[in-house]
Amino acid sequence: MSSHATAHTGHDAHHDDSHHDHYDPGFIRKWIFSTDHKIIGLQYGITALLFLAFGFYLMMVMRWSIAYPHQPLPEWMSWIFTDGWKARWLQDGKVTGETYNMFGAMHGTIMVFLGIVPLGFGAFGNYVTPLQIGAPDMAFPRLNMASYWIYLVGGLIMCGSFFMESGSAKSGWTNYSPLAGFADGQVVNQWLAGQTQWLIGLVCLITSSLLGSVNFITTIINLRVRGMTWMRMPFFVWSMLVTAFLLLLAFPPLEAAGIMQLMDRVVHSSFFMPSGLFTKSEGLADLSGGGSPLLFQHLFWFLGHPEVYVLLLPAFACVSEIIPVNTRKPLWGYKSMVYSVLVLGFLSFVVWAHHMYMTGMGAAVSTFFQTTTVLISIPSVVIITAMLISLWGGSIRFTPPMLWACAFIPMFGIGGLTGLPLAFNLAGLHLHDTYYVIGHFHYVVAPGILFGFFAGILHWYPKITGRYMSRTLNHLHFWPTLICMNIIFFPMLMQGMAGFHRRWYNGGDAYLEKAADGVNVFGQTVVQHIDMNIPMSMGAWTMALFQVFFIINLFTSWKWGKKANSDNPWNATTLEWATPTPPGHGNFLKEPVTYRGPYEYSRPGHDADFLPQWIEPKHLEPEDAPATKEKVSH
Amino acid sequence: MEIPYLVTPRKDTGLFNSKIAIWLFLASEVMLFGGFFSAYVFLRLGADYPWPERTLPVLPGLINTFVLIGSSVTVVFAWAALKMREWRKFQIFMGITVFCALIFMVLKGVEYNVKFHHQALRLKDFTVVEGHLGKEMEDGKPVLNHHGKEVEENLIYVEGSKLTFNTVRFYQPWVDELLTQAEHHHSKIIFTADLTATTKVGEPVEVIAKAGEALSNQMLSRLKEVHLAARSHNAAFRTEALREEWKVAKAENPGKRGWQIASGVNIDVEALAPKLLTEVPSVAFSVEPPVRFSFAPRDIREADGQSRLRDDTVVDGKLLDSPMVFHNIDAIDFQHLAMNAVKRGADPIAAIENSWLVKNDEFAREAWEWNKVQVAKIEKRLIDEYGLDEKTGKPNREPTLKERYRIGWKDLVAKSDGVDREKEMIKLKEEFLGPDYKGREDKETFPHLSVPREQIGFASKFTPAWNTFYALYFTITGLHGLHVIGGALVLAYYLFFGRKMYLENPEWLSNRVEVGGLFWHFVDLVWIFVFPILYLM
Repeated sequence: MSSHATAHTGHDAHHDDSHHDHYDPGFIRKWIFSTDHKIIGLQYGITALLFLAFGFYLMMVMRWSIAYPHQPLPEWMSWIFTDGWKARWLQDGKVTGETYNMFGAMHGTIMVFLGIVPLGFGAFGNYVTPLQIGAPDMAFPRLNMASYWIYLVGGLIMCGSFFMESGSAKSGWTNYSPLAGFADGQVVNQWLAGQTQWLIGLVCLITSSLLGSVNFITTIINLRVRGMTWMRMPFFVWSMLVTAFLLLLAFPPLEAAGIMQLMDRVVHSSFFMPSGLFTKSEGLADLSGGGSPLLFQHLFWFLGHPEVYVLLLPAFACVSEIIPVNTRKPLWGYKSMVYSVLVLGFLSFVVWAHHMYMTGMGAAVSTFFQTTTVLISIPSVVIITAMLISLWGGSIRFTPPMLWACAFIPMFGIGGLTGLPLAFNLAGLHLHDTYYVIGHFHYVVAPGILFGFFAGILHWYPKITGRYMSRTLNHLHFWPTLICMNIIFFPMLMQGMAGFHRRWYNGGDAYLEKAADGVNVFGQTVVQHIDMNIPMSMGAWTMALFQVFFIINLFTSWKWGKKANSDNPWNATTLEWATPTPPGHGNFLKEPVTYRGPYEYSRPGHDADFLPQWIEPKHLEPEDAPATKEKVSH
Repeated sequence: MEIPYLVTPRKDTGLFNSKIAIWLFLASEVMLFGGFFSAYVFLRLGADYPWPERTLPVLPGLINTFVLIGSSVTVVFAWAALKMREWRKFQIFMGITVFCALIFMVLKGVEYNVKFHHQALRLKDFTVVEGHLGKEMEDGKPVLNHHGKEVEENLIYVEGSKLTFNTVRFYQPWVDELLTQAEHHHSKIIFTADLTATTKVGEPVEVIAKAGEALSNQMLSRLKEVHLAARSHNAAFRTEALREEWKVAKAENPGKRGWQIASGVNIDVEALAPKLLTEVPSVAFSVEPPVRFSFAPRDIREADGQSRLRDDTVVDGKLLDSPMVFHNIDAIDFQHLAMNAVKRGADPIAAIENSWLVKNDEFAREAWEWNKVQVAKIEKRLIDEYGLDEKTGKPNREPTLKERYRIGWKDLVAKSDGVDREKEMIKLKEEFLGPDYKGREDKETFPHLSVPREQIGFASKFTPAWNTFYALYFTITGLHGLHVIGGALVLAYYLFFGRKMYLENPEWLSNRVEVGGLFWHFVDLVWIFVFPILYLM
């Protein structure tokens, strides 16, 4: 079976000339300043995982502050800081409100901009997309390299500010003005303020994703191999295409906002500073005023919402590749999924103000955005339903990646469904800025998107290294993570409905002092729910412990994992499995030709239960409708 | 490995790679500038101050428009020349294109420069005064700061006798400036008493700075190190002590929640004291003899007795009279004041006549009276030209807010020339560079004005800080300017370094020029939007 699958990838003397030239650029050019999309993908992946770990750590410290606000940070969490740093940012070892804000802002920023997007779009997109369309590399390899390095520089600038006197950004990942315009205002040289560094880092990240998205779209449009028509592209590629368009068009308005906020900070303009602004520390602000804080929110969320889909679509992409392989069944409703993802991409540009119901935009505007928000749930549900139906009647193999993919569906489902109340204006007003919101989007991102990415890593690992990741270690990683995720996030939904505000650094303690008075409505509900903080935090720390198995698995399997016995170990159908393992520079030994759609599993009348895209038909096989439009010459 | 479709277009898409890329890039650019234009609409519609209409010099802007349009044409000619393999022609047309970019940037630079030196002032009652500040002088010579630059007469003066620095946050350039000023007045900034501290546990107190030692950045840096070391040491001990307290408290209160016992858990400070080092968060110096220090207004929060700089330096001393002195004023603007008066239902004319400026400055009073006569003339002319409304009996057209309440520099010229406002005589040079102050000095067209500090609401040069219009103007044109520079650099690269590629693969070069040219057209197109919305509307 496997020899059948790799018939075209073996060393064939006649076709082995130009594509298999000797390529040895030396260590630095090969692994550090590489222009090869696969190496860049790995660089993105490793960097993003490191940032994710850092973001996770910040969250662990925050969870301590929430669960035990009056107690010093324990040694096992604080050993990582220097004494000087602790003296500056902890008060007798306790996490202060300012430090908590700093960690909160950076946790969000790191997870979204430096972790998930680079992992999904940068790593999976880079590694897999050109392989799946049969391209030798990205259309602009050097641009691709630049994109990675600008991302890294941006990330380091943002995180480096942790070590400055001012500390890093501390106005939330949304960085709302005028708060963000004032934060670190005491720093004389504004270029050395964490809040400013955040903006500089952001401009770097936007530049990076601009270069990346231009590269992706060009590659997908122009570098598809012979026979790879639009409707023969795997759903993965479609998702990446839409993601790239979102990045291309949604990020620039935030860049504009970032530049304007930078001007506000550095040259004291008033883009986002209203007239008559008064603060306790500064008095009446020495500014012209006349600006609009609401403008920042509009520009931010114009990116912010499409960004949600930038995070999500790569996870959809991974899961929708893994499900057909492991059910031995075509992806159900491929075409409707493709159209849905296109509609999703379009609609994501017109829903942004549902993050802003509390700003008093007016009923008409709220109604419009409420309607579009409900509309956008339709394509999402179409996609997730198609995935679910794809499982129906399949002969499911519970391989490690499939385990994660199967968990993705219900976990993302919870995340998605808890979003509906937030879409509605009235419910939104009550739930706004509570832990309910935190619970909702963490269900989407953590057990949702991240599970999709774990699945992806396990799925493509044999292609990258030639070895499987360990099943046992994966079980030790998967089950505790699944349980802990729910321990952390499910109580958040309840706390949120009870009125827990998302930015309480002491987890609601402050309200308990006044609970006895009976005047404070929050006090009563806080008393009922505050004890949940402790098991939730325990869950978070326990989960950290079990991630160790993943790290061990990731590194040990590289050397000692079970060997994959062929170039196509999962018996998959898409083109990345037609390459040698690992794929060399230029990917394919011989330029492949695509003969059919991406998910030809269990086709009647064939011995094997899979029919790869690149296998030349032996006899005239009935083709899919779109494929007949373009005749492939043999 | 070779990437396909670098030079030749792919058959089914009809495009080579970089052409797709540039269109995508331009789409992204549209969104970027779209963000700024949306901001323009948002801020203009929501402005709570009179939006400055047609305040920028139209003539240089107009010339720039034609320069850019012209260069867009020549870049196409350059590309066509390459397609026809005429290198010489390509060089000429590309040369013109790059030269146009240069003209554009030079004009832009002149425009910016004028604004960076032009002062605006909004008084507490919202009267706006524009002009140029005088230079700080002493014995007929300009005073220099520690950079050796002249200082403008917009400073806060404090008779400083004591300076207290925050050892962590002190800002080195400001320390230098204070030292320069003290030296200028032959004064010293020194310690009056020994500064002592415990720097090692169990050892006796040590003198870390002696009485009579003078202020310097090195000394502050040294004290900073002492302070940080002590802070780190102490924090570690305090943390350890608090952990112990919590252990005890938890053992004593089984079953209780943290928040129920937290108020009772405290560090025993006295027991801990012998283990701690001395922290030096701030150090005080005395100024002998006291000196008149001057500070930029933005850097200081001034108060009589004790003022505070932004780096947390405390200046003890009497606050002195700190007026803002205009060497000349070239506009008096009551629009904002009038607008506010109307908002609260008051009579704008009365509000203006009660304003501090009209009451206290003779020239302003004269100018306002002159302006009233001029507005009456305009009103009369408008009635003559457009007539009265038949039903209401009111004029069909009335003077604009700007005509009524702003006395601009051209009006001041007309006033001093003794002609009517609509017949002022402006020199061509002035159309480009603004008023000719020297040439009009003898007529006292642009007089002197001194404004006491307590009347100042907000002051700024004509920079992004002045108001959201200028913020937009500088940000949008600045970003556009960066695009012009970037595009010009790329095109110049093809011009000066393209020869080798032309000989090897001329089609590839012409593709690149095509892509560069598309970008250049975009830059032009942005200007076509920028010019009307910023200069004409």
